[in-house]
Amino acid sequence: MSVFIAPGDDFHLESRDNVILGPGAYCDPRSQAFTPVNAGFEVITESKKGICAHVEYNSKRYVPAVGDLVVGLITGSFSDSYRVSLASFSTPVTLSYMAFPNASKKNRPTLKVGDLVYARVCKADKELEAEIECVDSTTGKDDGFGHLEHGTLVQASLAFCRELTFNAEYPLLSLLAKHAQFEVAIGINGRIWIKSEEIRHTLAFSRSLLECQDHPVSEHKHIISKHFKNVLNASS
Amino acid sequence: MAKDIDISSSEAKFLIDSLKQGFRFDSRGFEEFRDVGIEFGKDFGDVTVTVGRTKVHCRISCSIAQPYEDRPFEGLFYISTESSPMAGPQFENGNNTGEDEVLCSRIIEKAVRRSGALDVEGLCIVAGSKCWAVRADVHFLNCDGGFIDVSCIAVMCGLLHFRKPDVTVAGEQITVHSLDEREPVPLGVLHIPICVTFSFFNPEDAEENIKGDLNNEICLIDATLKEELLRDGTLTVTLNKNREVVQVSKAGGLPMDALMLMDCCHKAYKITETLTDQITSELKRDADSRNQFAAMLSSENARVS
Amino acid sequence: MSRLEIYSPEGLRVDGRRWNELRRLECSINTHTSASDGSSYLEQGNNKIITLVNGPQEPKLRSQMSIQKATISVAINITRFSKMERSKTSHRNERRVLEMQTALVRTFEKNVQLHLYPRTQIDIQIHVLQQDGGLMGSLINGITLALIDAGIAMYDYISGVSVGLYDTTPLLDLNSVEESSMSSVTLGVVGKSEKLSLLLVEDKIPLDRMESVLAIGIAGSHRIRELMDRELRKHGRKRLSNVSSNN
Repeated sequence: MSVFIAPGDDFHLESRDNVILGPGAYCDPRSQAFTPVNAGFEVITESKKGICAHVEYNSKRYVPAVGDLVVGLITGSFSDSYRVSLASFSTPVTLSYMAFPNASKKNRPTLKVGDLVYARVCKADKELEAEIECVDSTTGKDDGFGHLEHGTLVQASLAFCRELTFNAEYPLLSLLAKHAQFEVAIGINGRIWIKSEEIRHTLAFSRSLLECQDHPVSEHKHIISKHFKNVLNASS
Repeated sequence: MAKDIDISSSEAKFLIDSLKQGFRFDSRGFEEFRDVGIEFGKDFGDVTVTVGRTKVHCRISCSIAQPYEDRPFEGLFYISTESSPMAGPQFENGNNTGEDEVLCSRIIEKAVRRSGALDVEGLCIVAGSKCWAVRADVHFLNCDGGFIDVSCIAVMCGLLHFRKPDVTVAGEQITVHSLDEREPVPLGVLHIPICVTFSFFNPEDAEENIKGDLNNEICLIDATLKEELLRDGTLTVTLNKNREVVQVSKAGGLPMDALMLMDCCHKAYKITETLTDQITSELKRDADSRNQFAAMLSSENARVS
Repeated sequence: MSRLEIYSPEGLRVDGRRWNELRRLECSINTHTSASDGSSYLEQGNNKIITLVNGPQEPKLRSQMSIQKATISVAINITRFSKMERSKTSHRNERRVLEMQTALVRTFEKNVQLHLYPRTQIDIQIHVLQQDGGLMGSLINGITLALIDAGIAMYDYISGVSVGLYDTTPLLDLNSVEESSMSSVTLGVVGKSEKLSLLLVEDKIPLDRMESVLAIGIAGSHRIRELMDRELRKHGRKRLSNVSSNN
């Protein structure tokens, strides 16, 4: 079903009406032609609003885009905002003190340098520092955003993180859940935070996540049970 | 280092917690060295060593130079260990005055050059005027911890593998024979130093470490990059198979009980033994593959004894 | 060079010491009151070292600042006239000196209670006026004294000494003649414990002899700690008597 396309190819679209272009697609302003600008799998989905076309490709560097759910690391604090790193060696983003639930001038968030936060990218202009927020700005509720306490972090590829977030049928998380309870926060920026009651379970989860990203879905079950067996045997 | 890799406090806590329960992230034991892969190139003195995801390439080359005036009977030997962004974005180009880089190059220098692993007197051609200058260039291709250990293995493998062209001396006239003309000669390697790096972690607070008698400090062999970033102290022991301590460097860091350090040295010796055996067997395999036709061309015949 | 007898059959060394004897150790603190917040002058045999500590103070560069704790910097100035022969080049950017500085920073980082002084820097300047072997150990002693004089919180003393191995006999606290003719070990010991903060071996030593070398080194370091402690307390008493006589 998936079609591989490269820059210069044409999208396989039936009509040009109501097309929404996603990442990896470009509309030439002069000729109004749609061309892919990245090499990867063509994804065309139909929805009520129209047809969405984008290219699913893997890249190494995360570039913030509005609406992305990310796991950030606080690297500095200023008078009215935090500096947050979304990936090592990339430009930091800001997290304003006002972007928290029930924020006010008096009520300051209590995050420290080195803490992890789950947040949403709310501003991502090319020339400016991106901004993230820990609150759903429409409702003012925390919506699951905020400080991620304890647990650990796994560095995964960007494509793997997108797959985990957007593909509801991807079986990995439900496979993991069969072994133990856990909390997870998947950042589109290639960071997965995971936490469970016991250290060894967290360890098995993170090892499984790391290994599964390089293996087809059919092998996942085997890999996960291997890692769980490993930690349970070692401790007994 | 220009910029450091970001690491969160949750990860640091998780690492210590899992170490306390006896787990390492890559499911190795605390005293387990990663598997060492040694690959020889087509040319002599061209070695790539991989340990886990760390990859180091070493190239040995030689040229004819003039010896130092105060040491007319000794050849020259340089080791260059320059890190570049090729190994990872945390390394800066052309800036090798960072603390870790200086320590790394000094330890390699002490372990290999100052310990006399290479017989420099054997590099002399004409006393006082001509000698071989041997150069080891170490390139770090990928970084996942353990640079010192891996580059030491790479340099030693390179030196053992390298062959220098044969020379004949007639008075002041010297002739260098090309590799096709005459069988090149190996370098005189006197012993094989092996570096083993220990990383220390303090599971208690600082006061317990200094005042207490618990000695609960955790010590890991051959740390990965993440473990290296979070460790409290480090110790590099260099030994050879003759049970000689060639070099020890514990430049500060977590204070450790002297007996524990001695224990580390003994553990390092076991690793030294296995690694030395591996190096010699890999070298032999390479030599055999190069000389696979030697038996055919040889005029020797099996003797009945 | 004529062959010197490093260790005579009677058990005497070149300078007449026995194998387990330290060199003369004299030290004083608060020697450079106007130039620094803490200072010491240390003579260990013929090593003569001035150590100046400035800080905790505001860092000169904001990038050096850490929010959680103080940063330590060590600068070693080995004067050109410190050895028998005047050296032609400055030692400032030698890799050996850079390595020593790094080792000293890392040694004291774990022993000074840095978390008490966030956003500050502690500068340590060392001037080596004369050197005669076992330099690294003397530097450690000098810094310990100067840090105490500066009133910076530490967990314990760190005392350093070098030990050599001559054939099978360990020799404590080497001078430069001995250092050049045998392999040596430098230790940095924390307080009265047997914990080593620093351990440097630069030449070949049989693995089975290490233990005896470390044992004599630790004993020597404890002795140095006592000597430094005595001098400090003497200084403390003097100051105390000055204060009480003023009232």
